[in-house]
Amino acid sequence: MTSASSLLTALVMNPAVILVAGAIFGAFIPNGFAAIRRPLMLVFVAVSAFQLNRLGLGEYGVLSIFGEPVTMLRVDPLSRLFAVVFHIATALNLIYAWHSRDRALDFASLAYPAAALGGVLAGDLITLFVWWEIAAITSVFLIWGPGTRATFLAGMRYLTIQVLSGVLLLAGIVLVYRETGSFAFEEIGLRDASGAIKASGLLILLAFGIKSAFPLLHNWVQDAYPKASFAGTIVLSVFTTKLAVASIARAFPGTPELVWIGAVMTIFPIFFALIENDLKKVLCYSINNQVGFMVIGIGFGTAASINGAVGYAFTNIIFESLLFMAVGAAIHRTGTSKATELGGLYKTMPLTMIFAIIGAMSISAFPGFAGFVTKGLIIDAAGEANAFWIWLVLLFASAGVLEHAGIKIPYFTFFAHDSGKRPKEAPPAMLFAMGVSAALCIAIGVYPEPLYALMPHQEAIANYHPYAPYHVVEQLQLLLWAVLAFAVLILVKWYPAEVASTNLDTDWFYRVPGRGLFGWAVAAVGAIWMFSSRILSERFMGAIRRVYALHGPEGALARSWPTGFMALATAIVLGLALIIAFAA
Amino acid sequence: MADHSGDGKQGWADTKAFRFAFLGVLIIAALASAVAGFLPQFQKDHPHFSVEGMGAFFAVYGFAAFSFIVLAGQHLRKLVSRKETYYDERE
Repeated sequence: MTSASSLLTALVMNPAVILVAGAIFGAFIPNGFAAIRRPLMLVFVAVSAFQLNRLGLGEYGVLSIFGEPVTMLRVDPLSRLFAVVFHIATALNLIYAWHSRDRALDFASLAYPAAALGGVLAGDLITLFVWWEIAAITSVFLIWGPGTRATFLAGMRYLTIQVLSGVLLLAGIVLVYRETGSFAFEEIGLRDASGAIKASGLLILLAFGIKSAFPLLHNWVQDAYPKASFAGTIVLSVFTTKLAVASIARAFPGTPELVWIGAVMTIFPIFFALIENDLKKVLCYSINNQVGFMVIGIGFGTAASINGAVGYAFTNIIFESLLFMAVGAAIHRTGTSKATELGGLYKTMPLTMIFAIIGAMSISAFPGFAGFVTKGLIIDAAGEANAFWIWLVLLFASAGVLEHAGIKIPYFTFFAHDSGKRPKEAPPAMLFAMGVSAALCIAIGVYPEPLYALMPHQEAIANYHPYAPYHVVEQLQLLLWAVLAFAVLILVKWYPAEVASTNLDTDWFYRVPGRGLFGWAVAAVGAIWMFSSRILSERFMGAIRRVYALHGPEGALARSWPTGFMALATAIVLGLALIIAFAA
Repeated sequence: MADHSGDGKQGWADTKAFRFAFLGVLIIAALASAVAGFLPQFQKDHPHFSVEGMGAFFAVYGFAAFSFIVLAGQHLRKLVSRKETYYDERE
């Protein structure tokens, strides 16, 4: 059994615990001193990053709990890549909402990334489960932030789904332990040696699938994320799905089913994003689409495709956040994220517009930007696997990304029809965070070697040249002709106008018929309970009355008290003996 | 919130000159990329699929895919679009 001192040592050395300490410390700073809260929390992020770098690759905090080894901290190439980008995103998110006076938002902006960081650094399944649940609980505060009935209900739905993911994970962990006798978090796989699907693998893949928003399990993202404040949505957009991607990459590399799941993920959000009026929701669909690329890369399971999947996750966190930040700045200044109410903001928010376009070009994977140097690895992997239809799907999805994230977001926010709104440019802190993100998008795009050095399979990245002439030309053809199609559709007025509406998705099933069914079930159970209790209470009271009539002061057996009591006691003892004999 | 309402002034992106220039540059760049696809130095030595060897495949596919997404996708509205207050009225 682990001593308290070794447990304390294991906790103190963990970068995730350092962030948790920062979150708790920040939560105790009263609003009167709110101006120093985020700067101090940023110090904790710096200390955590320093500790991650100081530790280097290795396993730390190996403890024995009830005789089972538990590795609380594992820094390997896979977890290090995610840990690095989580630190970058956490710092930028803290800077973005620098002037926040919301203590709950500030707490969750550090506690939730801390949980995600702890999850990717977990060396065993028990540690993963603990951080998995902490991530669910801390993130819901971001959704509840605005404090309305709609955000409360959305938060409850979100929490239910996240806890369901945790329950499935726990059940899977139990089965893995029964199969292997270990809690080690290594490759699990969906099938056993005979090719049959393992219950353990299925449960854990479902748990990861919920968090990474697999098709039909995806709609909690669009339901919950846009309900948070704009600063909260940016924080939410980064961590949960990427923690799941990191977990899938570790547990299910080379699972062919993931290729098809990922293919569906890349395609269907494109169409929902096209008709969506709320630009926050458009970006949420974009998360689904982008994670689809990563899932496909993991599904192929080659060294190059895994590099592509996790490298794309790294760059996606930066450029997707940048797009959320740009839309968030527009919301901050105009009070709306509806495409029908925005437009023409480039006139007074030129810097935000430039940053948004850099984010859009990055997510579209234009040469020179971050998406280009990582997405190509995944598309190449489809070619290497001779998966022609998946390759076509990836190209189709790339055109789709350009449509909803590359064009729709900047076009309807900053150009399109003039909304007449003339807001001020975004505040300096927001501009700084967006500027650093944009600079990273370009820096990684132009000089990807430092990112490549972080990738888990160095042997596979050594001979990859993203700027091979054919790759640049192929990508430019795909994107420029897609932009041309957009221009033509606008000119001939075939591009659909934005319409203020709510678009039904899979959440409809549990928000309308599911809710009705739940209400009916509650009423039915209540009625059955009332009916049963009335019947039973009548029977019970009748029995009491009969016993009382016999043994009470006026009863026949009370005339000789010891005899009457003896008869009652004997009946009770015989009854008990009968029950014990039956049970035995 | 917006600080003041629109002043009616035309911004640089709304001018015809900018729109023509943007469209002109886009068309030239798109054509150049398509032509480059036919030049041997811009072709893959060992393509995975035969279509990669067709010089302008990615251009045609990009144009067609984008057009399909927009033209077909908008019909999804008929199936899933409801008024904005749809859920507010039911929760």
